[in-house]
Amino acid sequence: MNIELTPEQKALQQEVREYMKTVMTPELLQEMKDDELKEGGGPEFRKQYARMGADGWIGLSWSKELGGKEMSHLEQYIFTDEVVRSGFAYPFLTTEAVTPVIAANANDEVREEVVGGVKQGKVVIAIGYSEPSAGTDLASLKTKAVQDGDHWIINGQKMWTSLANYADYVWLAARTDPDESKKHKGLTMFLVPTDYEGFSVTPVHTLGVRTNATYYNDIRLPDKYRVGEVNAGWKLITGQLNIERLSLFTHGQVDSLYVDTCQWAAQTDAPGGGKLIEQPWVQHNLARVKSGLEVVKLICWKQAWAMDQGPLDMADASTAKVYSSEFFVELYRLLLEVLGGAGAIAAHSPGAALKGRIEFRWRVGSILTFGGGTNEIQRDIIAMAGLWMPRTR
Amino acid sequence: MDFTISEELQSVQQLAQQILGDFTEVDKLKAIEAQDTRFDPALWQALAEAGLLGVDIDEANGGMGLGFFALGMLCEEVGRTVAPVPVVPVLAGAAGTLRRFGNDTQREQWLPGIAAGSALVTCALEEYHNDDPTRPAATAQAVEGGYTLSGSKICVDAATHSARILLSAQAEDGLVVALVDPRAAGVALNPQVVTSGETRHELVMDQVQVGAEDILATGREALEAMDWAQQATRTALCAMALGLCDKMMRITGQYTSEREQFGRAIATFQAVSHRVADCYIDVECLRLVTQQAASLLDQGRPAQDAVSMAKIWCGDVAHRVSQAAQHCHGGTGVDRDYILWRYCLMARQIELSAGNSARLTGELGQAIAREYLAAAPA
Repeated sequence: MNIELTPEQKALQQEVREYMKTVMTPELLQEMKDDELKEGGGPEFRKQYARMGADGWIGLSWSKELGGKEMSHLEQYIFTDEVVRSGFAYPFLTTEAVTPVIAANANDEVREEVVGGVKQGKVVIAIGYSEPSAGTDLASLKTKAVQDGDHWIINGQKMWTSLANYADYVWLAARTDPDESKKHKGLTMFLVPTDYEGFSVTPVHTLGVRTNATYYNDIRLPDKYRVGEVNAGWKLITGQLNIERLSLFTHGQVDSLYVDTCQWAAQTDAPGGGKLIEQPWVQHNLARVKSGLEVVKLICWKQAWAMDQGPLDMADASTAKVYSSEFFVELYRLLLEVLGGAGAIAAHSPGAALKGRIEFRWRVGSILTFGGGTNEIQRDIIAMAGLWMPRTR
Repeated sequence: MDFTISEELQSVQQLAQQILGDFTEVDKLKAIEAQDTRFDPALWQALAEAGLLGVDIDEANGGMGLGFFALGMLCEEVGRTVAPVPVVPVLAGAAGTLRRFGNDTQREQWLPGIAAGSALVTCALEEYHNDDPTRPAATAQAVEGGYTLSGSKICVDAATHSARILLSAQAEDGLVVALVDPRAAGVALNPQVVTSGETRHELVMDQVQVGAEDILATGREALEAMDWAQQATRTALCAMALGLCDKMMRITGQYTSEREQFGRAIATFQAVSHRVADCYIDVECLRLVTQQAASLLDQGRPAQDAVSMAKIWCGDVAHRVSQAAQHCHGGTGVDRDYILWRYCLMARQIELSAGNSARLTGELGQAIAREYLAAAPA
């Protein structure tokens, strides 16, 4: 038992941290002031993403065969943690969740086109799972793909298709067995190039960032873009969920908010004299944040370490998701209280504390407890897999 | 980075589980609890014979020399079985401090006996309105050949069974850590029944003579010794609470899976199962911070913040899991013939001992302020 990074792991952490400072150029920071481009997609984002590819930073965890470095999950987590901390809109779902599945299941031509493109930082893939009436009950999705010779005809609508406004492909779950009662046994995965006729996007403006609704109107898709066997899509979706979560709830992104708030409070005058950080209520909030953050750090390390040991325990994975998502929201609140009234001033308005970063994160944070698998389902899993309790009804 | 529990430590854990399991059947616990103090000498002897009392005592002094992490694991198992043995004050607070701060003579005098189960040395870290043993109200006055101690300590565990009680007192020129003989002239032990149902003791010292051979440390070294004793005690209590809470949660998972109302197991109501799932999350959080603190102490590395955070979590988790377990059991949870109550009361005792969540949160906040004020540009 030794719960600390090795010198090599610390060196990697430092290397990524320094490198990401060069990625977050003044031009990129300027570009990201546009809400439409906050999550990537602008020319400077494209330029820096491609530079990360050219510098060999994309696909560290992939096999050597695919051009990766076969880094351990722990090293991959260290990379992810630092990239998220930097604020770069790195498309983790593309690089870590979807591309390895495509590499393992697509035909040679598409593998070369898509995996090769991702490796070079030229390809971004949006996720097309949710639909207006298929959210937590994903297997009830209705988007249809019907075979027509060596093509598929795709019709339907997806919801919350983030990044689809600039992505190159949508990783699409579609129903290929017309019998809807087959639920998850009738689904197949496809890659839909976003420049195909019949594909369209409309924006959905959320409390935080822009996301999208996407429409699939008689798209004629060559069979080569089918990934995996027909009606065997479900395991391609579910196999990546834990990896997805380990990139959603990382320590660095919230630790940096804590550190910045502490520094701010140590430099800001309190009304009755002294600095704000000398006030007992401020110290109380900061101490609660620090104690909670410590567990975020440990829980992430343990998840990444466990993934290197073998399959992740289901109850532990759900525990990490519920704890982190609920603590993130609590952390935003506790830190905003320290910032006081100025904490409510949005970014780019005069007087915004810490550039409005926490205000923004709090608004975006409302998705955390239901996104990536709603916490009620996670608690069901914990009760069943962790405590052997019967299924709830 | 390695969360693995070594095979050696796993076998220690299994051995502890086996012995503790044998001695903690309900009838045996009831018999022990009918005595004056909640202490089972036969179980203590069995643990000694298995070598378990010496996990954090050097081999040269009759122990196994496995370190503090191993002791934490033993405390966790004691918690899991609510066993009536004073592992925290004797093995973490007293023996651990003797091992690290005693001189050769003191180590040879006390540690082999503690490992063998033939001698008990406990510790007394708390006073009225003061749980910080580095700033005691008790006083020490230097006299020819030793010190004269006066003052009070509270809720001392295993006091009547111990040959010495490790404690601190303030002298004019600094802190003193002494081993006080509870039978010495001027010492009074007054029974105090605490929330766990145990009888502990108020220790009152009136001009007690302590010879130089029983002075463990003075001055700066005494501060370090009491810092260590406090951190070790807090971490060991966290480990014990971890065992208690893990067991309470599992008892509750099982009970709600069997208990039927409205024609179905109550665990099939999400309102119930989610409350138990929350306990699972809490217990995992407590496990992580406890393992971190124990691992740092084990390696002799700075652990102050890690220990404080662990004890904050310990207090919060002990409270929440205990309340959830009681609640989900309904009336069964408070029935003295059912197993749960011992766990709940012991959890409360630990929550209130050696620094609680509110006080440590305040202390941690002050430390954060000092850190960032020091780093702030003038």
